[in-house]
Amino acid sequence: MSLIYRRKANQSKIMDTVYDYFGEMRPFVKRIDKKWLIPLMVFLKTIEWSIYRWYKTPVRRFYGIKGNELIYMITSRCNERCAKCGIWKNPESDTEHLQIAAFIDCLKTLHHNLYQVTLTGGEPLLFMKDVLLIAEEAAVHKVPMIIVTNGVLVTEDFLKRYAELGHILVFSIDTLEKEKWGNFRGKDTYDKVMSNLQLAHKFLGGKLRIQSVYAEETKNDIPKIKELCKQMNIQHVSQPYMDFGGVWHGVKQIYENKNDNIICAARKNICIYPNGDVVKCFDHYRIPLAKESLGNIEKENIIEILCRKRSTEISKIMKTCNFPCKYLSCNVPEIVYE
Amino acid sequence: MNVLIIPCYIKTDWDKNCLNRLLNSIQNQTKKFDRVYVVDDLSPLSYELPFDFVEHIKLKENGGPAKARNVAIEKALELNAKHLFFTDHDVVLDKNWLYEMSTFLERINFEAVGGMTYAYGKTLLDYYHDINGTLNGKWLLPDKKELWYMPSLNFGMKSEIAREFVFDERFPTAAGEDVDLCLRLRSKYKIGFCPTAKVWHDFGYKNFFSGFKHFVNLFKKYKSSSATVYEGHTVLLWDSSEAIYKGNMYESNL
Repeated sequence: MSLIYRRKANQSKIMDTVYDYFGEMRPFVKRIDKKWLIPLMVFLKTIEWSIYRWYKTPVRRFYGIKGNELIYMITSRCNERCAKCGIWKNPESDTEHLQIAAFIDCLKTLHHNLYQVTLTGGEPLLFMKDVLLIAEEAAVHKVPMIIVTNGVLVTEDFLKRYAELGHILVFSIDTLEKEKWGNFRGKDTYDKVMSNLQLAHKFLGGKLRIQSVYAEETKNDIPKIKELCKQMNIQHVSQPYMDFGGVWHGVKQIYENKNDNIICAARKNICIYPNGDVVKCFDHYRIPLAKESLGNIEKENIIEILCRKRSTEISKIMKTCNFPCKYLSCNVPEIVYE
Repeated sequence: MNVLIIPCYIKTDWDKNCLNRLLNSIQNQTKKFDRVYVVDDLSPLSYELPFDFVEHIKLKENGGPAKARNVAIEKALELNAKHLFFTDHDVVLDKNWLYEMSTFLERINFEAVGGMTYAYGKTLLDYYHDINGTLNGKWLLPDKKELWYMPSLNFGMKSEIAREFVFDERFPTAAGEDVDLCLRLRSKYKIGFCPTAKVWHDFGYKNFFSGFKHFVNLFKKYKSSSATVYEGHTVLLWDSSEAIYKGNMYESNL
């Protein structure tokens, strides 16, 4: 595994490049039997060598082509008050909220490296206009996008446009019982979400999914949600409960039966907070070196941020860290996607 | 039993003509293949194959050449094939290709083999590929006794190997997936080189000027996969290698 180091520190000196170039050219020239063709052939070899150098840079080597997921917590604000989550308790202020242009720039810069962009929150659809801008940009670069929503704010106009762009929408639903709904969500939005779910199904078809948090509080509800998904012919995803400030309880057995040798794929994820701070994983507080963000995309270029030595060191640690968050779908999708 | 596998993504009449030309060269082999699989990777252009010795597998989803090859590998293994050979639709086989490749695998202690690839066209860009060895294998230095890797357009392996190593379907295009397979395969086995197993690859250049853009795009495609290959094989990539061309093709002296 090659790792990134600070580009400046790791950048080859000009003479290294010169040696590399002539090291390639010298044996190549000996192969040319028609001597009058030497200048032309060297020109062609120089083009090949330049392309090779371009793709050989450390950041491309580590992050790879289509090897990463960009996860943007577009806001920590939320219109619901779910007990499973505490993110809504600390909404960002207007001045803290990242300008959408900065995220679009980041997406443009990284799109070769991405297999997916995920928008999460808070409730992403509180910023519906920005969400559509990102969805459009992702479609331009052929990067699939997923939005995780509580389903309350979905509208027909939004669904029409989103369906045209071909992205995936995930409704977060943890129970189908109206009585429990209020306790789970903190608001009585059952009828609204269920009606929006049908609307979304009409426009998105198989591009609609339901995601549930698997916890002590929901373990008896999830089979019913799966059954609903089966009837609607849509995919269901279970995510184990993680402590993001909520008050639910994880189901212990799911960790006991899992393979502990999973390498943390999240080390190659790129996560961005509502204020533009970059981290490798939203559960980064568990790693002391990762507590502070790596940088902020409003102030710096994302490539510069990812090439920092600390970014490398955190990736190294995440390769062997054994925290429960490694069972989340951002890490090992094959385990939780059913 | 010798099986030939050809993944296909036919976009233009030129591709269609290439495929027919390849199938003609297969028909003219001095030693016949027992089975030829043409795996269509959901081509945008519909076409029929006027050759009864071909089994035409049509995939329902486009999955890239790695997936297409794996589908045929699975079928070949079900038939207990002894040797699996791979080529591409824009290639022409020498009439002794199968004889040379299969004899090499039977006679010499290698589990996989690559042959010698020449450019089909006559432009200066084709000349460049010939001396550069763009689509040839690479010698593993310093001994030049085995190959560092061999492109899948002129490649064969014993079926036991295919049970252990298949193409990685995460490579979306025809770039890097063969390098990846060879580097994994080399962790246990050796790839030999058979200079007398000749093929000609048609790069599709009409002349130097009109082909130049295609030339640049070709290298962009090949080199872009190097990020993914580096990710998986950093240590193996430290090995020194040298591209094969007609001036060093007999240096192994096997």
